[in-house]
Amino acid sequence: MARAPSLTQSMSGVHTWVGLLLGWALFAIFLTGTLAVFDKEIDWWMAPELTNQDQGPVVAANVAQRWLQANHPTSSSWTIALPTERSPRLAVSVDGQRRGENTPLDAESGEPLAVRDTLGGAFFFHFHYTLHLPRLLGVWVVGFAAMAMLVALVSGIIIHKKIFKDFFTFRPAKGQRSWLDGHNASAVLLLPFHLMITYTGLAIFCVLYMPAAVDALYGGDRQALFREADPAAAAQTGRGFGRDAPKSQAPAAPLLALGQFVEQGEAYYGRGMVAAVSVSDPGQADARVTVRPVLGNRIELTKGQGLTYDGVSGALLHEPAPARASLLTQRVLAGLHFAQFGGYPMRWLYFLCGLVSCAMIGSGLVLYAVKKRKQARDDRFLAVVERLNVSVIAGLAVACLALLWSNRLLPAALEARASAELAAFFGVWLATLLHAMWRPPFHAWREQLLVAAVLALALPLLDFLSADTTDRVRLSIDSAAAMMGLVFGWTAWKVPALSAKGRSEPLLRVRPAGAAQ
Amino acid sequence: MARTAAKDGRAWQVLLLRIVMAVLGGYAFTYAATAALARLLPFDRYDAAAIAMLASFVVYLTFVLWALTTRSSWRVLLGVMATLPLAAIGFWPQLLEGLR
Repeated sequence: MARAPSLTQSMSGVHTWVGLLLGWALFAIFLTGTLAVFDKEIDWWMAPELTNQDQGPVVAANVAQRWLQANHPTSSSWTIALPTERSPRLAVSVDGQRRGENTPLDAESGEPLAVRDTLGGAFFFHFHYTLHLPRLLGVWVVGFAAMAMLVALVSGIIIHKKIFKDFFTFRPAKGQRSWLDGHNASAVLLLPFHLMITYTGLAIFCVLYMPAAVDALYGGDRQALFREADPAAAAQTGRGFGRDAPKSQAPAAPLLALGQFVEQGEAYYGRGMVAAVSVSDPGQADARVTVRPVLGNRIELTKGQGLTYDGVSGALLHEPAPARASLLTQRVLAGLHFAQFGGYPMRWLYFLCGLVSCAMIGSGLVLYAVKKRKQARDDRFLAVVERLNVSVIAGLAVACLALLWSNRLLPAALEARASAELAAFFGVWLATLLHAMWRPPFHAWREQLLVAAVLALALPLLDFLSADTTDRVRLSIDSAAAMMGLVFGWTAWKVPALSAKGRSEPLLRVRPAGAAQ
Repeated sequence: MARTAAKDGRAWQVLLLRIVMAVLGGYAFTYAATAALARLLPFDRYDAAAIAMLASFVVYLTFVLWALTTRSSWRVLLGVMATLPLAAIGFWPQLLEGLR
């Protein structure tokens, strides 16, 4: 063997290879995760039939109740998703139907609304943690990538100690140096965010990823673990809302107006913090009404919690008990990842931080190509890397925009419309890969960035032409897309200046801060 | 590491073995360490399990980084072998049950 490498050298090798090989998956995970911060808003954008009627959840609950009473009086359960600040959608489902099988209602007239069948913002959310693979496999692949992210981050910190020493002999102006600076700056600036978002992402699925403790202490019985975590909640979910819940034999009794339960829920959780109402055995003496909060009424992720009332007398039967410290810790970690708390300022902060994470991963991938391009002319592996870089970084941006475009361009009444949108997303993404294989890297970068810029800049126009009304959420998405379009356009504009100077030139020349003018 | 490896096939095998020991051996080590930690923590069963689970990612991360950068492959193998005593601590009641 040759001379053994130093710790910094071997860490550098680990950082390069782990970062490169998992970097493509990580970029896709981080970009879709960043978009998923606004999943509900994108949902709204993708359903232009929905208009904001500022109806308020109390009135909406009563409207939905009237429709359910008239159309499904004998169902064993009703669930009503209420309009919130993030979504004007009022939707009902009966007998434990899953999400997606629900019926959207007009919040004023109470009549069913014809809303186009669309993937919605939920697509980005699901892609973020499964990469659109079969769910369990996808969760494991994303978990593996997340561990690789931690390995890359920590090995990066260890190498960076050395770079910090180099700082004092720093000389500006090498293109590769500039990419390195960009990579380092985006990494160091938000290091706590990168570490937090990756670790909390793993923590959400910790029972799945590391079942050792459950296997050792509970004989592998996960349900026993969950029951012990929150015994009161486990007792609640034992009854009620399942698809197979047996029809109750209790005598008939009128259900109180659901709006008043929503009012009580708002008094408990805060204004605008009620997301849904469910009713078991409506119209019978043992009717139970559960009022559920939005996920972000506090940092702790309150998924599955709620206030349960007697539907006939209106008495409060059950309220969530404070979680024990260890469970609260897990829920806060999950809440930090889901970014549902703190309203819109916090959402924008997460969105911007997520973009910086994407920039760090993307600049790392490009840095590898820039470095290798200097060393070798005909390197097949480098060719593969460059093509994947183009189609994962620029190509995924094009595909995400194509999904939004297909949402408006496909006829609203098309059969299997959501699948057509899915085909548009993956079809365009595949096309960017073929394009990247066909064109020289610089041209591929430039052309795909230009396409992304045009699609993003023209998105507001498409929105105005294809939707009847507009509102603040759609305007925010349109303007954010236009801003992204400017960034894509600026980058695309920068590319040709460099390709003219030949392949060994850096892709971008960024003068480092503090450099001599 | 990678550059010398490219020069001969045996070095590639050594590298591959090292990666397998880091990723799979590291997972086995972490699994056993998590079980042992959950068993040893003097808290309620649920609390001990939750703390051990949340700590497991740090254990795995440390093991992988150490296994990929330490000089001697034998030392890494020794680290992977530490799975057995840790598993014995974590699963001793099940172990006794099995021996009976």
